[in-house]
Amino acid sequence: MKGRRGALINILCLGFMVAVMGAASVYGQAAGFSDNIYPVGKLKPRDSVLRLKVGDKAPDFTLPSVEGAAVTIGQYAGKKNVVLSFVPAAWTPVCSDQWPGYNIARNLFDKHEAILLGITVDNIPTLFAWTKQMTGRGGKLWFPVLSDFYPHGKVAEQYGVLRSDGTSERALFVIDKQGIVRYIDVHDINERPPLEALAKALEDLKK
Amino acid sequence: MESNKRRLGAILLFLVFLPLIGCAARGPEISRVGGGPEAPAPSSVKSIPSFDLPIPQGERDKVYLGVEGTGNFQLGQVKAPFVIIEVFSFYCPYCQQVAPKVNELYQKIEERPDLKGKIKLIGIGSTNSPFEVNSFREKYQVPFPLFPDQNKDIFNLLGARGTPTFIGIRLSEKGTLEQFYLGEGAFQDSQQVLAEIIKLAGLKEATKK
Repeated sequence: MKGRRGALINILCLGFMVAVMGAASVYGQAAGFSDNIYPVGKLKPRDSVLRLKVGDKAPDFTLPSVEGAAVTIGQYAGKKNVVLSFVPAAWTPVCSDQWPGYNIARNLFDKHEAILLGITVDNIPTLFAWTKQMTGRGGKLWFPVLSDFYPHGKVAEQYGVLRSDGTSERALFVIDKQGIVRYIDVHDINERPPLEALAKALEDLKK
Repeated sequence: MESNKRRLGAILLFLVFLPLIGCAARGPEISRVGGGPEAPAPSSVKSIPSFDLPIPQGERDKVYLGVEGTGNFQLGQVKAPFVIIEVFSFYCPYCQQVAPKVNELYQKIEERPDLKGKIKLIGIGSTNSPFEVNSFREKYQVPFPLFPDQNKDIFNLLGARGTPTFIGIRLSEKGTLEQFYLGEGAFQDSQQVLAEIIKLAGLKEATKK
C-alpha cells in the first residue's frame, strides 16, 4: 500500500500541475513551479548505509542556509529538539510537496519545542528558487533550509544517507535537546513519510 | 502613404497592448483545463458511481450532511440536491493557497437562504492520512467535512487529474450522481466560482437588491 501511495503522489501533484499550467498558458501565463519538476521515475528505495543508530550522539555540522546565516545543530543544544529532513534533491517529485506540508504544520513542531532543518545537496541559488516556489507569492518557509552542496553531501555522508548518485535519501532524524538521536526514518525515496509518524516521534521525546 | 502610417501605428499600438490583454485575462479566475470562464465545464453529463464515506464523528458535520449514527454513508444520502467535492491534499501548495477561498465559498453559500441546504461542500484529502486531513482542517479552520482518501480510491473514481479539483455533483431523487461542474486548479474569486456553480446547477441567481 505504501509503495502505491508514494508513486501516486508523484503523479498527483506533478502531473496535475503540468496540466493546470497548460491551461494557464491559455491566459499567457509564464511557466511556473509545476512544469519545472523533473520526473525522476521510480528509484531504488534505498541506496546508502546508515552510520547512526538511535541513542548515538548526533554529529554536529555547520551548513549555509538559504537565508544567509550558517546553521549548526549545536546552536540548538539545550534549547530545542531538532528534526533534520533530508530530501533527495530540489525540483524532484515528492520532495516538492513534503516541505510544503511541513510548512503548514508548524504548530506540531512548536508544540514539541522542535525546530525543523531542511537539507539537500543542492546549492543555495537552486534552493532559493525552489523553496520560493513552494509558498506562492510573498510566502516563506518558516524553517531554515540548508545546503549540503560543498564539500558535496558531506553531512549526508556523515549521517549515512548519501546515495551513490550524489543525492541524499529521504530521511528524517529527530535529535533531542541533549543532541542524542532519538528517531531515524530513512524512508523509501519514492514515498512521502506520513506526518503522524513524525508526530509520534516528537511525542515520544517526552518519554 | 498616410493611411499606411496610420495602419502601422494601429498595429504598433495593438502590439503594445497585447501583453496587457494577456495580463487581464490571466487575472483571478479559476485555472481550468480546457478553457477559462468563457469556456466553462463541459456540458455533457457524466455519471459518477456512488461511493461510501465514513460518517463524520463531529455533530456539526453530521447535521450539515444530514447523516446519523456510525459506520459509512453513501454520497447520495447527503441531504442536498448538489454537492461540491474539493479534491485536495495537505501537501499541495495550491490547495493550501486556495483553502481560505474555499472557506469563503462555503460561507457565501451558507449566508444565502436560497442556497443554504441546497449546495453542500465536502473535501477529499487525496493520499492523505486521517492525521494529515485533520492537520489541514485545523490549519485553515475548514468549516465543512473533510475525508481522507489515502489510497486515492475516490480520486480515481471521480476521474480527478490532480489537486485541487472541484467537482459538482447533482444528486437525483433516483439516487444517481451526475457531475455538472468541474474546476481544476486554484481560484481567486469565490464569487465567480459560486456564480458558475449556480448557473451550471440550473439554480436561479438571486435578484439583485
